[in-house]
Amino acid sequence: MVRFENVGMRYGLGPEILRDVSFTLEPGSFHLLTGPSGAGKTSLLKLIYLAERPSRGAIWMFDREIAATPREELPPLRRRIGVVFQDFRLLDHLTVFDNVALPRRVMGEFEGDYRAEVEELLSWVGLGNRLNAKPATLSGGEKQRVAIARAVVAKPELLLADEPTGNVDPEIGARIMRLFIELNRLGTSVLIATHDQRIMERVPAMRIFKLTEGRLTSANANEIAIAGAKRA
Amino acid sequence: MNPAAPSGLMPADSASGATLHTIVAVMSFLACLTLGAVLTLSRLASEWTEGLSGSVTVQLLPSPQISPEDQLNEALRLVRQWPGIFSAKALSRGEASKLLEPWLGEGNVLDDLPVPQLIEVTLTPGQPVELAGLGRALADGVPGAQLDDHQRWNQELASFAASSEAVGWAVLALIAVATLAIVIYATQAGLQAHREIVEVVHMIGARDVFIATEFQRHFLWLGLRGGLIGLTLAAITLLGSSFFWDSREAPVGAQYLPQLVTSPFHYIWLLFVPAAIAGIAMATARMTVLRVLGRMP
Repeated sequence: MVRFENVGMRYGLGPEILRDVSFTLEPGSFHLLTGPSGAGKTSLLKLIYLAERPSRGAIWMFDREIAATPREELPPLRRRIGVVFQDFRLLDHLTVFDNVALPRRVMGEFEGDYRAEVEELLSWVGLGNRLNAKPATLSGGEKQRVAIARAVVAKPELLLADEPTGNVDPEIGARIMRLFIELNRLGTSVLIATHDQRIMERVPAMRIFKLTEGRLTSANANEIAIAGAKRA
Repeated sequence: MNPAAPSGLMPADSASGATLHTIVAVMSFLACLTLGAVLTLSRLASEWTEGLSGSVTVQLLPSPQISPEDQLNEALRLVRQWPGIFSAKALSRGEASKLLEPWLGEGNVLDDLPVPQLIEVTLTPGQPVELAGLGRALADGVPGAQLDDHQRWNQELASFAASSEAVGWAVLALIAVATLAIVIYATQAGLQAHREIVEVVHMIGARDVFIATEFQRHFLWLGLRGGLIGLTLAAITLLGSSFFWDSREAPVGAQYLPQLVTSPFHYIWLLFVPAAIAGIAMATARMTVLRVLGRMP
C-alpha cells in the first residue's frame, strides 16, 4: 500500500529532517510512529498524505511511484487517505455536519448521497446531537472526534493520525483508540504518530516505528515493552 | 435535526470580506461618478456643437441710411427667402434683456446701451446653406447688417468640448486602473486570509478546479454586491444633484452649469461598472488560487 525507499527530506536549504527512511505499510496493518518532539513524525506523515515532496529517495503509494505521477493524478490518491491533523484543521465557518461531509463533497457527491452516512457516523462518534454546531463551540475532545469522522467518512484505505490523543483527557483518548481499532478491524490500515506510551499497552500486536533524529527503526510493541521493563 | 444546505467553502461574513466589500463599493462609486461625468461631457459636447451649427445670428447696427424698422423688415425678407433657411425671428427687447441678464443684471439697462437688434436664424437640418453668400447679400442689401455664423465660437467650443471629454476619459482610465489594482490587491489579501481553507480542502483530495470554482464564485458575488452598493450610492448622488440643481436652494447661476447624467440610457452604461468589477474580482480569485495551488504538491 505504502512503500518508502531511502527517503530523505529537508525544508528549503535547512538540515535534513528525515534520513534514509525505508518502510512498508501493508493493507489492514496497524502501526504506531513514536519519537521525541522534532524527530520528524509530522514531516513523515506529510510525505505520506502527499502534502510535501521528498528531497531524495522513492515513495510508492497504492502502486504508483509518486515522483512519476502527474500532479493532476494526485487528488484521487489523497482521497484514499484519511488524515486526522494534530490541530484538527476544521473549517470554523462550517457546521460539524459540513466539516465531516467535506471529503464527500469534494468527490463531487450531492448532499442527498451522503447525508444519512454522515449523520450515522457522527452518531457513532457521539456527536449525533451536534450536527449544526460550529467548531468554536466544541470541546477539544469533540473537535478531535469531528476530525476523525471527517478522516473516515470517505472510507479511506489508510488512516493517518497525528497525536490524536494529545489534546484530550485519558478517557476520551481511550475512546478514540477503540475507534481506530474498530476501523482497523473493518479493513482500514492505521498509522498513528504519538508520544503516548499508553497507546502501546492498548494495542500490543501493532508494529511500532521509532524516529530518532530523522532515522526510522521498527520494532514490535511487545519488544519495546520488554526493553522498557529491562531498563526499569 | 437535519443540517441546512451545504455552506460555501468561503465564510460569508469574514472580516476580510467586509473590508473587500467596502473597498469595492467605494471604487465602484468613484468609477460610476466619473463615468457619469464623462457621459455628461460627451452629451454636452454634442449639444453645444449641434446647437451652434444649426443656427446663425444677424446683427443690425444702427445706420443713418435706413430706419430701424425698414432695416429689420428688409433683413428678415432677405434671410427668409434664402435657400436652406428654416426660420428667422427678430428678438424683442425683452428677449435680448433676458440673454444679457446673467452678465448685466435685471432692470432697464438696455435702454441706456446701444445694443444692436438681433435676428435669430434657424437653418434647415441636413440642407447645405450658402452662408458666405447670405453674409454678402446682407452687407450689400441692408445697411448696418452683419451675419454671425458662430464659426469662431463653434470651433472654440468644439475644441473645448473635445478637450474636456478627453480629460474625462483619461480620469476614467486612471480610476479604472486604480480600481483594478485595488480589487486585485484586496482579493489577494482576502485569499491569503483563507489560505487555511485552500490547504485543508487540497489535502483531503479536492481538485484544483473544484477549489478555484468555489473561490471564484465567492468573489464574483462579493464583487457584484460591493459594485452594486457603489452604483446605488452613485445613482443616488447623481439623482440628488439633479433635484438640487432644479430646486430653489440651488446657488445663483447653477442653472447655467451642466447637470450630471440626465438620460436613463446613461444609467444603463453605469450598470457595466459593477459587472466589470465583479468580473475582475472573479478572475483574480481564480488566477490567485490556481497559482497558490500550483505551488503545492
